[in-house]
Amino acid sequence: MTTTPFKDRPRIDAFDKVRGATAYAADIPVPGMLYAMLVPSVVAKGRIATLQVEDAINVPGVVRILTPDDFPPPPEPVRFPNADAPPTLHRDIAFRGQPIALVVAETLEAATEGAERVAATFETQPFAATKRSALAVREEARPTAFGDAGAALAQATMTVDVEYESPAQHHNPIELISTTAVWADGRLTIYEGTQFASGIKEVVARILRIDPGIVDVKSPSVGGAFGQKGWVQQQTAIIARAAMLLGRPVKLVTPRGQIFHLAKFRPNSTHHIKLGADAAGKMTGVHYVADQQQSRRGTFPPDYHAGPTRLYGIRNYYGGGLDYRIDTQPPGHMRAPHEHPACFAFECAVDELAYSLGADPVDFRIANDTRVDPQNGRPLSSRHLNECLSRGAQRFGWSKRTPKPGSMRAADGSLVGWGVASGIYPALVTATVATLRISADGTTRFTTTHHEFGQGIKTAIGAVLLDGLEIDAAKLDIVLGDTTAAPQQITAGSWGTFSVVPTAALAVERMRAAISELLAGRQVSGAIHQQLAAIRRPFLTVEVSLLGPGQDAAALERLRRGQYAVAGPTFPDFTAMSYIAHFVEVQVESTTRRIRMPRVVSVADCGRVVSPRTAVSQVRGGVVWAFGAALREVTEVDPRFGGFLNNDLADYVVPVNADIGEIDVDFIGEPDPVANSVGVKGLGEVAMVGASAAIVNAIFHATGKRLRELPVRIEHLL
Amino acid sequence: MCNDPDVAPEIPDNQLLVSRRDAMIASVAVVAASHFAASARAQTGPRQAALPVSVDQALIIRTSINGQTLEIRIDARTSLLDLLRERLALTGAKKGCDHGQCGACTVHIDGRRVASCLTLAGKVDGREVLTIEGLAGGDTLHPMQQAFIDHDALQCGYCTPGQIMAAVACVAEGNATSRERIREYMSGNICRCGAYVGIVAAIEDAAAKMGRG
Repeated sequence: MTTTPFKDRPRIDAFDKVRGATAYAADIPVPGMLYAMLVPSVVAKGRIATLQVEDAINVPGVVRILTPDDFPPPPEPVRFPNADAPPTLHRDIAFRGQPIALVVAETLEAATEGAERVAATFETQPFAATKRSALAVREEARPTAFGDAGAALAQATMTVDVEYESPAQHHNPIELISTTAVWADGRLTIYEGTQFASGIKEVVARILRIDPGIVDVKSPSVGGAFGQKGWVQQQTAIIARAAMLLGRPVKLVTPRGQIFHLAKFRPNSTHHIKLGADAAGKMTGVHYVADQQQSRRGTFPPDYHAGPTRLYGIRNYYGGGLDYRIDTQPPGHMRAPHEHPACFAFECAVDELAYSLGADPVDFRIANDTRVDPQNGRPLSSRHLNECLSRGAQRFGWSKRTPKPGSMRAADGSLVGWGVASGIYPALVTATVATLRISADGTTRFTTTHHEFGQGIKTAIGAVLLDGLEIDAAKLDIVLGDTTAAPQQITAGSWGTFSVVPTAALAVERMRAAISELLAGRQVSGAIHQQLAAIRRPFLTVEVSLLGPGQDAAALERLRRGQYAVAGPTFPDFTAMSYIAHFVEVQVESTTRRIRMPRVVSVADCGRVVSPRTAVSQVRGGVVWAFGAALREVTEVDPRFGGFLNNDLADYVVPVNADIGEIDVDFIGEPDPVANSVGVKGLGEVAMVGASAAIVNAIFHATGKRLRELPVRIEHLL
Repeated sequence: MCNDPDVAPEIPDNQLLVSRRDAMIASVAVVAASHFAASARAQTGPRQAALPVSVDQALIIRTSINGQTLEIRIDARTSLLDLLRERLALTGAKKGCDHGQCGACTVHIDGRRVASCLTLAGKVDGREVLTIEGLAGGDTLHPMQQAFIDHDALQCGYCTPGQIMAAVACVAEGNATSRERIREYMSGNICRCGAYVGIVAAIEDAAAKMGRG
């Protein structure tokens, strides 16, 4: 494996993005387009009794109103990969905000007015709005357990027994969820910002009872995703149906207020952790039960143990999971879906244990390292968490910290707190295919599996292609998220780089071999384009496919059918994880108790760094997300009516520029020696993991208060 | 696009480069003839779509968008953002909330930054609108756009046009004098990807180059 660091390059699509020239799904011009607006249910559970559409149809410009009568009955549940097909329009109401009708009009203004004039009455039923509701149904999941946690905790010389709560939160990428559907010449084309173009293709076809072979899905550029766009949205099949019924293209841009009920969200979760250590300061046992809110049929698993089991060398672990099924839309994956809440709770508990033992929180973590996966004894492919901790401590100036809470002050009298926490995330990979075509006219086209939503996957692919091949960078076109270009796969879980970068490297290797064979020893100077021109070849194409360790041809077949083709983090011969250490300074103003975060140092082990600039940005973004999760974001439920109350960006408060100070990022940069040919793991998710714990631990160091419920607010410190 | 009945036919350039005064004089006749005015530059300017439905509350507005005089019949309910995006094919300004809470739709009106989603299109009658498409031109970049590339002040790029329009105004207002001040005066523009460190660095850099740091 080459281990030379990749050089710093600008983000490959930045030139278009700064000019407003990048086309997101709702920007794509389609002639003759109609505009749609959904009508949401105002009740949380029940059945539509009457649906009055006459007033709406009389609004000038309204073309048609779709109701449950316009849809086939829902198909059999599609467990794909772990969620039901979303409902279309139907009379049974499962959650507040569920669409009950769709107004289609010549203009957006007419569609909006029409939607406001649709009147419905409901036969309501009693419902459960929160985990604590009487009608919530408790359901236990299979535990993760190894060793003997009970015995270890009984023998421990020091234990903590604590409960932490992470609230319901919504992704809120700035791009609104939208769908544009075009039905023409016997094909259905869907433009939508998604992390899962092939999922839309398969599931929409199934819902509408049409052949997936006539459905094309294009997700050209995505305006932020964070997991929200990783599954088929509620509206997609509805819009497709409207386009097919009307014979004209239909576009829906969903209002943000509706998205809070239509999209998935991070469920509220509670984490009860008992953690024990021996006299030597080694953590010996964990008993950890997490529960979460769940929809009646939701499948987002309450399994919070993939990270905490592998953070340290703890040999005895019991990890339980519980769902409380209530009447909500299904929760789902939101950035670091399990690992963020789990490591918030676990890394705060570790801090509490370190303080109980009188140990330095950095030293305590370093002393609890492991070289094997405690779940199964497999070797770890690479692990540099201790280097992350020690390098981070040095960059941050940790040695100047005085451990006593409340012992450090800023010049203006604010309380200063320094906190640390570790983060961990599985290294995952999907089967991936790619086609690389280099042409004599100077162009290069690389089409592959996976999607770009700002994480920088195109820049990473570009780095591999431009490093390995002499081609014209200005005429390099990287096509992602398009089912007509390559079989697609859900892009999530930080598996994009692990999947496409080794695939791109393989394509480079094959292309170099193909060129060499074509030239057959002739010396032709210039870039590959000139070489092809010289030997009168208009273009040269190589096609490659790549499997993750332990995957077989069945994974490739699943990929080609648009199904889930993901492997890891446990591979046949090793377990692969990414790691990070976060160091946070908070300042708590002595009179207002306002919490500021002037600086953060984060050091990550994500294997080899392919795109240094976008990697730094990913880590900073993860820290910003952790700030939001720790100090700002909660979606409030009104138990009287169900649904989410603060459903706009004025009331669901996300981090803004003035919230964020300096974020210093560094990477260990050691290539993973076994995971793949390039030595990469994953980064986008681990970037966030643990940083909320570091913030909350810093608040403890500043104030002496252990706060165990997020988000932490001023009133908690009064 | 040219076969689409909802889209204005392309008009030869020599009929398009009308002054605002000419446009006002000619407006009644143009509107009567075609239900929409035709003053967009055919190749690079905004492409106009006709208002495809008769509405009770229609308005004719005369405005300048990215330096081009434009006269157009609009539904009085239309926001400036929807006019730009859905009628004029200027999709650089983005819809992120439609409530003036995220800043993705930021444009300039008479040199001041505004949330175009909260601005009724009727309000720009007689005023000058500048969008990201008109900030530089063609393949050239404004110093702020170059600085956003140099400091990687973006990820998904969706909020970026609004950030850049706000950032240019922030410098022009004299509010880019320190990192702290930039952070405060850029807090109306949310970047959910969290590229704030890069955005602040880009504005500091561009402010110096724009001579208003």
